[in-house]
Amino acid sequence: MLNLQNNIYSPQDLKALIMEVRRYGRWFAQTSVKTHVTGTASKEPLAISEAAVALIREVAEQQPLSQKVIDELIKSLEALEAASPRITITLAAVPGNKLKKVLVEWCRKNIDSSILVDFRFNATILGGMVVQYGSHVYDWSFRRQILAARGKFPGVLRNV
Amino acid sequence: MSIYLLIFLLVDVFIIGALMPLIFRHAYAHFWPEKHEQDKPHMTAAVRERLLHDSEVKYQKVLDHSVDVLERDLDKSAEQINSLVTRFAGVIVGDEMERYRAELSKLHKQAEADMSGIKQEIVGHQAEIEAKYKEELELERQRLISQIDTKLGDAVGSFLIETLQHNVDLGNQADYLVAMLEEHKQDFIKEVAGGDAKPAK
Repeated sequence: MLNLQNNIYSPQDLKALIMEVRRYGRWFAQTSVKTHVTGTASKEPLAISEAAVALIREVAEQQPLSQKVIDELIKSLEALEAASPRITITLAAVPGNKLKKVLVEWCRKNIDSSILVDFRFNATILGGMVVQYGSHVYDWSFRRQILAARGKFPGVLRNV
Repeated sequence: MSIYLLIFLLVDVFIIGALMPLIFRHAYAHFWPEKHEQDKPHMTAAVRERLLHDSEVKYQKVLDHSVDVLERDLDKSAEQINSLVTRFAGVIVGDEMERYRAELSKLHKQAEADMSGIKQEIVGHQAEIEAKYKEELELERQRLISQIDTKLGDAVGSFLIETLQHNVDLGNQADYLVAMLEEHKQDFIKEVAGGDAKPAK
């Protein structure tokens, strides 16, 4: 079972990773044929993302890289895409990388190691977050909490 | 004494002796003239009466005529005098009225100038008061706004702290979000396991 790096956290990231591995697979096949025919290895490496390079390198460390291994990797990734649980976190503003990393780490540590996190933002929630997981929606937004406690505001105002 | 002088004196004495009788005669005729017959009146009393009457009538006529002329002249003079007096009076009254109008106009202008000055002073004073009032109002408004802002800020802060419970940092919510996830970790685990986790609303 593959372990996704924390920088591959959203369904879009995983889909992009699969596409890059496929592209790498095609490039690998073409390069293999060319090497077999000309006897010289290609000097120009394929430009792919660091995440894809790290994943391929991780696989290559376990077994020699071949077209079959790459195809299996692609299948594993597609299976992972289909089977991974998904959680949607809506924040009040576009989250920074640091916050994303914290939340993804927490989700993968506490919920599922292959969970995919889809970040969205909606300024009207003011703060906090709204988490959608499975069929449940957890509204921990400031807006909901403030609206729920709006009856207390006059009392607080009187006490100031 | 010369002979000539002597002769001259003798001739003079002779001439004077010849002239003296003539001088006496003429002096006598002058101081005591002789009365002549033709100087005496030769008319009768009736003639004299008639002449006197005619003279009186003529004199009366002349006198009446003179009186008429004098009356007419007097009337004419009176009319002219009246006319002149009226004209002079009109001119004088006109001049006086003109002077009075000029004086009145001058006083009016002076009063207007004074009023204008007073008005300007009032307007200036009013503007000053308004500016001062506005400034004070603005200061008071700013003070009240500041007070309201402070109070409202405190109230909102207290309300948010009381409502959100957690020590939320509105600038960095990572800890708050992780705390919320930790709080509902069991729900997620149950959901992954296929249990009926109740979402915390």
